[in-house]
Amino acid sequence: MSIDVPATPAALPAKTNPEKRDRPVAAASGFPPQTDYGYVLKPVYGPQDVAGMDYQRDLGDPGQYPYTRGYHATGYRSRMWTQRMTAGLGSSSDANRVLKQYHEMGQRGGICVISDRVFSSCIDPDHPMGRKEAGILGWPGCSLLEFEELMQDIPLTGQSITLLGSCAPSSLRLAYVVALAEKRGIDPREVHGGVIESPFENYFGQTDPQPFDLNLKLCLDCWEYVARRGLRMRCNVNSQHFQESGGNGAQALALQLAMLEELFGRLIRERELEFDDVANIPYELLSIGTRFFEEIAKMRALRRMYARMARDVFHAKKEKSLHLLTATHTSGRTMTYQQPLNNVVRCAIQTLAAAVGGCTAIDNATLDNAHSEPSAFAARMSLNTQHIVAHETGAADVVDPLAGSYYVEALTNQIEEQAYGILAEIDKLGGMIAALEAGYIQQMLSSEAQLKFQRVDRKERLVVGVNHLVIPPEEEEFELPIQELHADDSESIALRMQAWKKTRDQEAVRSQLARLHADARKGDRFNLMPAIVEAVKAYATAGEVFGVIRLARGLSYDPFDMVQCPFELH
Amino acid sequence: MDSEMKVIVSMIGLDGHTTGGEVVSMILRDAGIEVVYLGVNQTPEMIVRAALQEDVDAIGISSHASNYTLIEELVERLRDNGMDDVPVICGGNVPHHTGARLLSRGVAAVVLPGSSSEEIVATVRRLARKPAAGLQAGGA
Repeated sequence: MSIDVPATPAALPAKTNPEKRDRPVAAASGFPPQTDYGYVLKPVYGPQDVAGMDYQRDLGDPGQYPYTRGYHATGYRSRMWTQRMTAGLGSSSDANRVLKQYHEMGQRGGICVISDRVFSSCIDPDHPMGRKEAGILGWPGCSLLEFEELMQDIPLTGQSITLLGSCAPSSLRLAYVVALAEKRGIDPREVHGGVIESPFENYFGQTDPQPFDLNLKLCLDCWEYVARRGLRMRCNVNSQHFQESGGNGAQALALQLAMLEELFGRLIRERELEFDDVANIPYELLSIGTRFFEEIAKMRALRRMYARMARDVFHAKKEKSLHLLTATHTSGRTMTYQQPLNNVVRCAIQTLAAAVGGCTAIDNATLDNAHSEPSAFAARMSLNTQHIVAHETGAADVVDPLAGSYYVEALTNQIEEQAYGILAEIDKLGGMIAALEAGYIQQMLSSEAQLKFQRVDRKERLVVGVNHLVIPPEEEEFELPIQELHADDSESIALRMQAWKKTRDQEAVRSQLARLHADARKGDRFNLMPAIVEAVKAYATAGEVFGVIRLARGLSYDPFDMVQCPFELH
Repeated sequence: MDSEMKVIVSMIGLDGHTTGGEVVSMILRDAGIEVVYLGVNQTPEMIVRAALQEDVDAIGISSHASNYTLIEELVERLRDNGMDDVPVICGGNVPHHTGARLLSRGVAAVVLPGSSSEEIVATVRRLARKPAAGLQAGGA
C-alpha cells in the first residue's frame, strides 16, 4: 500500500467574529433570553404579537392549506407516528438481531438503519481503509448480500424501510430494495420508505469521498428512477445534519427550502419531470432539540413555507404535492457526556415537542449518544419515552394543541421571517449550489457552531452537568453500559467480505460492471440506475460499482487511490 | 507569524465529523497557536508526514466514535519515526475505559466533551513539545 498524496492542509473557514453579526447584542446586564437563532424574547406575549394574523390564510384547519396545523384532520388519531430507533453497528447479522430486538421493545411502523463509515465512503470492508472501520457507527452494507442478511426474517412491506447514510450509496440502497423485493416475489412498488440522501449532506458531516457533481447526478438518477417506475422510496433532504453540526433553526428552515428548490428545479429542467411527479419523493428529517416552543414553531413554520413554495413557485396541481413528509430525530447533539441519565429527561422533552409539533416518525437519540452507539438499555429507554408520550401524556389526542398560543404563533411567524431572510440571501447568490460554491453556507455553519460553543463556554447558555451543577467524574454514580466495536470485529467483517467476493460468479459481476462502465460514459443525464440494479443483483459491491463509475468519469477507481479495478471492463 | 507553537488538528480515517476539530482550531488560533488543519480522511502515515513537514509541536486528533486503533497506530508511527516528543492529544466523545487504554498506549491526553476553551488551550500548552534544552536561553 502506498500513499503518495501529500497531506495538504485542508481549508479552514476564515477567522470570524461571530458576535459581529446582525443579531441583537447581549444586554450589559447579561445574556437576554433569546431563541437559538438570536431573536430576543419578550417576557410575555399577547394579542398585539399576532396582530394581523388571519386564521384561514396563515393557519387553516389541520388538513387545510397552508397546513401550519398539520396535514391530517385528525392527526395521530388516524395514524400514530412511526416509533423507531436507528440501528446499525457491527455486522449485518448483528444489525438484524438489533432490529428484531427493537421490534420486541416496541418499535412500530418502520425500521431505520444507518450505514457504517465504510459503506458511506463507497469502499468495501476489505479495502485497506475499510478494514479498520467496518461496522463502526452503522451497518456495513456494501453488497446485496449484506442487505439480505440485514433483512433476514424481516418483512419489506407493511412498514417503512429507511436506510440512512451518505449520498453516493443511495443508488445502491435503492437497488437493494428493488433487488430483494424481486427475489422475494414482491412488486417493488409495494415497498415504502426512504433510502436516498441528498448530495448536500457532504457539507454537513454525512460525508462520502465522491465529487459533488457525481453525487448530484446519482441523486437525480435515483429520483427519476423512483418517479418513472412509481416506486415509493423517498429521498432524505434534511436539515438535521446541518443543525446537528451547529446550525440554528432559522438557518435550517432556509436551507431546507433552498435544497428542495435546487433539486426540484433540476429535475424539472434537466430530467423533464413535472413537479407533481416528484413532489412526494423528498422527506425532511428534522432535528428536534430541547428548546420546546421553538422546535414546535419550527415544525409548524416548515409546513407553511413548504406549502407556499410548492403552490407559488412550482405551481403544484395535486393537493398531496403541497405536503412535505416530516420525520424527526431528537437531537444527539444535546445528549451530554456528563451525567448521561439527564439525557433521558432531555429526550423526553424533545419527543414531546416532536409529537406536539406534528410529525410522521420519530427516532430518538439515546442517553448514551455522547459515549457510543445505543446499548439495548438506552434503546429501550428511548422507545419507552416515545410510548409514554404517545399513550400517557395525551399529547397525541388533539391535533396541533398549541395553535392560537400568542407565544407559539409569534415564534412561528418569527422563525419563518428569519428563514425567508436567509433564503433570500441564498437565492441572491443563485441558489443552494451556488451558495455552497461561494462558501456562504459553510461560513454560516462554521460561525454558528463557534457561537454555540462560546455561549456555553461563557455560561450564557446553561447546560446541566456541563457548565452548571457540574459534579466531578468520580461522583458519577451511574455506570453507563457501553456498546462498543473492537478492531477485530471490523477485521472479521473485512475477512468475510474478502473470502465471499471470490465465491461470486465472476463473469456475471464483470459483465454487469462493464455495462455500468459503458453507461456511465453516456453523459450526466443518462440514468445509471438500471445498470446499477443489474450489477447489484450480480452481487457487485459498493467499491466496485462506484469504482467503475469513477473510472468512466476519468477519476481513479478508488477514491483513496489504494486499490485497482480487479476487472477487465472492455 | 510569530506563534509560540504550531500544532496539527486532524480527523483520522473515515470519520467525517468536522465541527469539533474546526471549533478547537479556532480556539487555538485565538490563543495565538498556529494550527495546521488537515481535515478528513487522513491516514496515520499522512498525519506523520504532515507533522514532519510542518515541524509541529503537538498533534490533535478530533474523534467522533471509532475503534481508536488508528489513533494507536499514529502513536506507533510517530515512535517509528523518532518523533515521540510530539504528543498526540485526542479530543472527542471517548468512553472512559477507552480513554484509559489510549493513555496507556502513549496518547498524551484525552480531552472530553464539555471542556472549556481555557482547559483545551492549557492542555495543549502543557503537553506540546518544548524546544530542546540546549537551545533554551540559559539552559536548565
